[in-house]
Amino acid sequence: MKLNYKKELENAAKSMILVHRLDTLIKLIVRVIINRLNVVHAGILLFDKAKQSYVLSFSRGKTGKRIPKGFMRIDKNHPLIRFLNNGDGKKAFGDHIIEYKLLNKAIKNKKLTYLKDVFMEIKLLMDDLEVVACVPSFFRSELLGVLLLGKKDKGGWFKREELDFFQALASDVAMAIHNAQLFEQLQDEAERRYKLFMGSILALAKEIDAKDHYTSGHTERVIDYSLAIVEKLKELDKAGPITDDFIEDLKIASLLHDVGKIGIPEKVLNKNGKLDEEEFTLIKQHTTIGVSILEPIKEFLKDALLGIKYHHERFDGTGYPEGLKGENIPLIASIIGVADSYDAMITDRPYRKALSKEQAINEIQRYCGSQFHPVVAEVMVALYKENKI
Amino acid sequence: MSKILIVDDEKDVCDFIQNYFRKRKIESAIANSGSQALVMFANYKPDLVLLDIKMPGLDGLHVLETIKKETPEAKVMMLSGEENEETVNRAKQLGAIDFIHKPLELKELSKVITLLLGENN
Repeated sequence: MKLNYKKELENAAKSMILVHRLDTLIKLIVRVIINRLNVVHAGILLFDKAKQSYVLSFSRGKTGKRIPKGFMRIDKNHPLIRFLNNGDGKKAFGDHIIEYKLLNKAIKNKKLTYLKDVFMEIKLLMDDLEVVACVPSFFRSELLGVLLLGKKDKGGWFKREELDFFQALASDVAMAIHNAQLFEQLQDEAERRYKLFMGSILALAKEIDAKDHYTSGHTERVIDYSLAIVEKLKELDKAGPITDDFIEDLKIASLLHDVGKIGIPEKVLNKNGKLDEEEFTLIKQHTTIGVSILEPIKEFLKDALLGIKYHHERFDGTGYPEGLKGENIPLIASIIGVADSYDAMITDRPYRKALSKEQAINEIQRYCGSQFHPVVAEVMVALYKENKI
Repeated sequence: MSKILIVDDEKDVCDFIQNYFRKRKIESAIANSGSQALVMFANYKPDLVLLDIKMPGLDGLHVLETIKKETPEAKVMMLSGEENEETVNRAKQLGAIDFIHKPLELKELSKVITLLLGENN
């Protein structure tokens, strides 16, 4: 379910940079700066919402000179950050970039005495970090990060083209961060909806259990058995590739396999004896009723619906609703079929007492290949022998 | 002359802190592991130890315990990453004078100096 949403997002957002590539992009930028411009070190401060600070997250350069990653942060109220946010750079240096040599000049500028304290704090920081330029990374008006540049290897100041280049890189960084944040928000939203969805299904499943007096706890047990079976199938690798999506679908299908029983009159569901033909026909409909009840959310259910519709099919083709045969029965339905039957056998029913686990397993072995999918039945027997059910 | 022993398994961190102190005319030595730290503590005899908690091998808490056992008056300040409350409390119990949490603000390193120089007055 989660994966479907993610796929949709990926399709819609091909031009957006995905989260894991943000890291790669920023590392690349820092590497380019170091190699092409031969600076002693370079680093990037990124805004961390939780810490309300700019944390030095990426760093490269000479040993002893580069700033250790994740070691230091600059609070958002630090004069450097306030200065960059206010755009005071434009007034003081004619640029958003803070260059060390221009900072020194500005300190001596009589027209800028009101900024002297701020300048001194920024100078102290740049001295401690051995940084000669601070390049802000803005997305619209939000300061997402700061690019810190060490001295040039060979000395000398940065040329105008080099500074423009840094500015462009800083903008790329901001764009990448912004996209990554957007993507994260969308993922969070998707997750929220998924939780809502699962919550609704759970409520639905509980209602079914409540209505059918003899089968309380049945749904939970069917889920447990189904998951045990699929884990074993995965381990033995006897039923083709078992994906996480498949397991997720199985979970949902097990949860909802009897949802159609809501459409069956209670007196039929809880009848104290054998059902006549008419009543049996009604009961059989719970598979298709189940599917129609879930019609409004079928987009979210996809393959899980197969488990709900076909869990009463039989391997020899004598099942319902469609009389599917053999491997035409979706595996998800075959698994639930075995789990469902097993639980039915070991619990009391209105028409007969419960069988023992051993008796139930014998029945499964007996009808292996006729009622039950042979591989799934085999797995069930194995699980019993291992005391896992 | 006041001196500090910096203990962290990350060399970059040690170098950075050492530079920070050097700029402020404070002498320091480096240890990159718990065992190295104990050796250096005995030989270098620092006035204060800046001690990382999470290190492979002998971790910061063990080093703290050992130092405090042999030299109860030793001043040890802990450097921690995302440590839980339990660890912080344990360190305080063992006698750490204070804590700096990474990522730190540079002014927190100044705090170390104040603590150091305060005693020597």
